[in-house]
Amino acid sequence: MAKIGVFICHCGENIGAKVDCTKLAAAMGEHPGVAVSVEYKYFCSDPGQESVKRAIRENNLTGVVVAACSPRMHEATFRKACAEAGLNPYLCEIANIREQCSWVHTDNDQATEKAMDITRSMVEKVKRNNKLQPIEVPVTRRALVIGGGIAGIQAALDIANAGQDVVLVEREPSLGGHMAQLSETFPTLDCSQCIMTPRMVEAAQHPKIRLLTYAEIESVDGYIGNFSVRVRMKSRYVDIDKCTGCGDCITKCPAKKISSEFDCGLGKRTAIYTPFAQSVPNIPVIDKANCIYFKNGKCKICAKTCQCDAINFDMQDAFEDIEVGAIVVATGFQVQNNTMYGEYGYGKYPDVINGLQFERLASASGPTAGKILRPSDGVEPQTVVFIQCAGSRDPSKGVRYCSKICCMYTAKHAMLYAHKVHGGKAHIFYMDIRAAGKGYDEFSRRAIEEDEAAYLRGRVSKVWQENGKLMVRGVDTLLGRPVEIAADMVVLATAMIAQPDAKEFAKTIGIGYDEYGFYNEAHLKLRPVESSTAGVFLAGACQSPKDIPDSVAQASATASKVLALFSKDMLEREPVVATNNEATCAGCWGCVLACPYNAIEQKDIVDRSGRVIKRVASVNPGLCQGCGTCVTFCRSNSLDLAGFTERQIFAEVMGL
Amino acid sequence: MSIEEQYRTRAKELLSGGAVKMVIGYGKGSNASRRRPIFISSADDVERLVLDDACITNLSGYLVSEGLLSDEKRVAVFLRPEGIRAINILAAESQLDADQIVIFGFDVAGNEVKALKGIHVEEFSDVITSIKESAPEAAEEELFEKIEKMSPQERFSFWQEEFSKCIKCYACRQACPMCYCRRCIVDSNQPQWVNTSSHTLGNFEWNIVRAFHLSGRCVECGNCDRACPVNIPLRLINHRMAEEVLGAFDHFAGTSKTQEPVLASFKKDDSETFIL
Ligand SMILES: Cc1cc2nc3c(=O)[nH]c(=O)nc-3n(C[C@H](O)[C@H](O)[C@H](O)COP(=O)(O)OP(=O)(O)OC[C@H]3O[C@@H](n4cnc5c(N)ncnc54)[C@H](O)[C@@H]3O)c2cc1C
Ligand code: SF4
Ligand code: SF4
Ligand code: SF4
Ligand code: SF4
Repeated sequence: MAKIGVFICHCGENIGAKVDCTKLAAAMGEHPGVAVSVEYKYFCSDPGQESVKRAIRENNLTGVVVAACSPRMHEATFRKACAEAGLNPYLCEIANIREQCSWVHTDNDQATEKAMDITRSMVEKVKRNNKLQPIEVPVTRRALVIGGGIAGIQAALDIANAGQDVVLVEREPSLGGHMAQLSETFPTLDCSQCIMTPRMVEAAQHPKIRLLTYAEIESVDGYIGNFSVRVRMKSRYVDIDKCTGCGDCITKCPAKKISSEFDCGLGKRTAIYTPFAQSVPNIPVIDKANCIYFKNGKCKICAKTCQCDAINFDMQDAFEDIEVGAIVVATGFQVQNNTMYGEYGYGKYPDVINGLQFERLASASGPTAGKILRPSDGVEPQTVVFIQCAGSRDPSKGVRYCSKICCMYTAKHAMLYAHKVHGGKAHIFYMDIRAAGKGYDEFSRRAIEEDEAAYLRGRVSKVWQENGKLMVRGVDTLLGRPVEIAADMVVLATAMIAQPDAKEFAKTIGIGYDEYGFYNEAHLKLRPVESSTAGVFLAGACQSPKDIPDSVAQASATASKVLALFSKDMLEREPVVATNNEATCAGCWGCVLACPYNAIEQKDIVDRSGRVIKRVASVNPGLCQGCGTCVTFCRSNSLDLAGFTERQIFAEVMGL
Repeated sequence: MSIEEQYRTRAKELLSGGAVKMVIGYGKGSNASRRRPIFISSADDVERLVLDDACITNLSGYLVSEGLLSDEKRVAVFLRPEGIRAINILAAESQLDADQIVIFGFDVAGNEVKALKGIHVEEFSDVITSIKESAPEAAEEELFEKIEKMSPQERFSFWQEEFSKCIKCYACRQACPMCYCRRCIVDSNQPQWVNTSSHTLGNFEWNIVRAFHLSGRCVECGNCDRACPVNIPLRLINHRMAEEVLGAFDHFAGTSKTQEPVLASFKKDDSETFIL
């Protein structure tokens, strides 16, 4: 006979204010098979959990239903409590009467009615629950970090410094990401290269880090603790083992007029190149699309120049399968292309540039060696207009969200400009100054008070060229009047957006993303560095726009998650796995294909003489993640999922 | 020589030479306009084979009869293009080995029978491609157009009315070559998802399950529609589902023997319009 305990939680006001918990408890007490039905203010609290345990022991309960918040919140908490009281944890279920009831309804009576349905349905399920034992799987103690920007480097270093192996994969020829492109960094104005390059070198030389640059992830299979990753090593056409990084080939390459991606189009590079002088590794790649030999079949000057015979035009992409136990995704962001603002003339007037281009102008390693010179004629601009939110917070043309960093870097740009061009005048059009962060407000005040940046609250409507000047028309909403400024250069504080291939890439690794392509965390507040896929963690700007301190902090957080995972030999996994009824399976292999974790194999059923009489599907419990895809697919209804068996689900539905 | 004659001759050759162990074809039925399936294992019986415009039943389903193909010997079968597509699906779903099947292909246009060239299923891919291209107009039926124009409520009542006639005889399932499962979901009773009695709910459950299980697999041979003793227009549901998978996933059932089942495969560029 079932003896179910029903524990109804008020969750303070969260449930209590909408659902009549006393009535609910009374109704559940009447339900067949329910031995105890009680309410309490906070069952998740220590006394709350204690009362559940006491009730289990005193009444010899055979099952527990906690009517409370979402199971994502406290299923683990209550299952643990049940286990401590001697009840198999899988005999405990959560009836979600908060997210799915009290939070979304306005009418108290109806909410109470619905809470009864939800709870009753769970009681019916629990009656059919089975005792399950956790499954143990081994953990591969090696982490994969995808993306070699500051976030990826930090995560890799933290994991490696704790003694675990790391494979760091970067798709560009060098580590560094965006931070390598920056000049000085807010809020301290220290030189980005000076703090970044030592980290890059440290990562490259670390005995525990295997660095794969110019490499991409082809596929990811497996699950937490046991991922199998296929990496494509793109052909550099330069043998990484032979090249000494002398750079002679780069000097001699005759294709010199190629627009440099690293300098955002403000500088030039050769066809054989490293993105920047401090590249790590300092090994060039040949840009096939622009190489004269690949285009015309003649040249090979680089090969003739190279003393080490490192250049190989026949090189092919190579593939490698790598086993890892955890994955940190740190693929960063892109800056938005501002050509959607036709009225600002980006792409039309060479002196209208974006913030990242300004970073390159201000950088000592940049195309102007750190002098602020306008791109059109190399003259020092005497008046510069900065336009904030050029793309951010603009649902009509740009993106709805705030890019978080532009207020700060624009203040920084105004300061750098003031320091470099004495007597120059900076005007900044802004919507709000968002300077929340340690030292941030002080920093932007400094731009106004010490470096005399003129902040104008309002939007710019048009930029046009007149008499060699860029005329900027906007409005100063604080004074309520239109303004027109004759500028020498205009800098747009462009929005930070997700990588163009972010959604596609998310599907390759099997994680979720939001409408913009930023990767979804498992819980915005409580699990901000975990993705919804166990064993895959998120660091840096791939998750949302972030500055360096936030990216680094998040990267270190992922490292701690990875290390916690690696601290055990065996991983305990939920025993929620599929099983197949071999008698009824029709052997169509639909499930084999449908299973996203490749957990289903074909199995021969043989008679006594060893003759195959039937082929059926067979689930490998070590690989199965319990997603249930196969169960919904199987037409002959042969597959079933432990913990969510058809009988349980049916009872749940009928209990409604 | 008529096609009937040619095929009889070919059947004779195959059987007497032992190239096939059986020919599944059409024989005379209870009246002049009906044909019934016949199973010939002796070269002497080929005269019983009939081929004319009344040969419409899709015979492919007989191939998956328990044990028929397990000796790895070949079997020949008379098939229209829909039947040939069915072979592809059965092969793709591992229910048979396509190399074991020798095809006597034919098609009926008006009351004329024409032969389709080829022996093995791969050789008919051009025929199948051309049907795929003309697929959207295939139904061309007044009733279909009428239902398409109905409001959701009207459509619901239309089908409610139709399904109310269903007597749960499962003749549609028995007639369908794709319904090969040894135990159908409707026969599973722990729990009993699909109600066995033939009342509105149970009938809806059965017919909706049938429609889903055949989406992307039904070849529109019409076996089910003809089998239904109470004349529920099952072809309309089949056609509607076929249009859906064609539109959403560019999937046309039975184009090759390695075609992936549309509802079990996932491609990165699949349309996701149904995810809200
Ligand atoms: C104009 C501008 C000025 C800024 N100024 C400052 C400042 O002064 N102070 C501050 O704190 N912050 C500043 N920032 C923000 C700073 O750039 C970011 O916070 C930081 O770069 C985020 O680091 P990340 O590693 O997450 O991403 P990224 O720097 O974008 O690095 C991501 C890396 O991943 C690689 N990658 C991407 N996809 C793949 C893939 N599929 N496989 C392999 N590798 C991949 C990329 O090539 C790249 O190397 C500024 C940003 C801009 C745009
Ligand atoms: S989908 Fe069902 S019938 Fe088909 S192989 Fe898998 S378990 Fe068997
Ligand atoms: S539940 Fe089925 S589809 Fe999901 S992982 Fe397990 S075997 Fe694969
Ligand atoms: S559902 Fe009907 S039309 Fe479709 S393949 Fe089966 S029998 Fe033929
Ligand atoms: S053949 Fe017709 S009556 Fe029989 S089960 Fe199918 S739809 Fe119902």
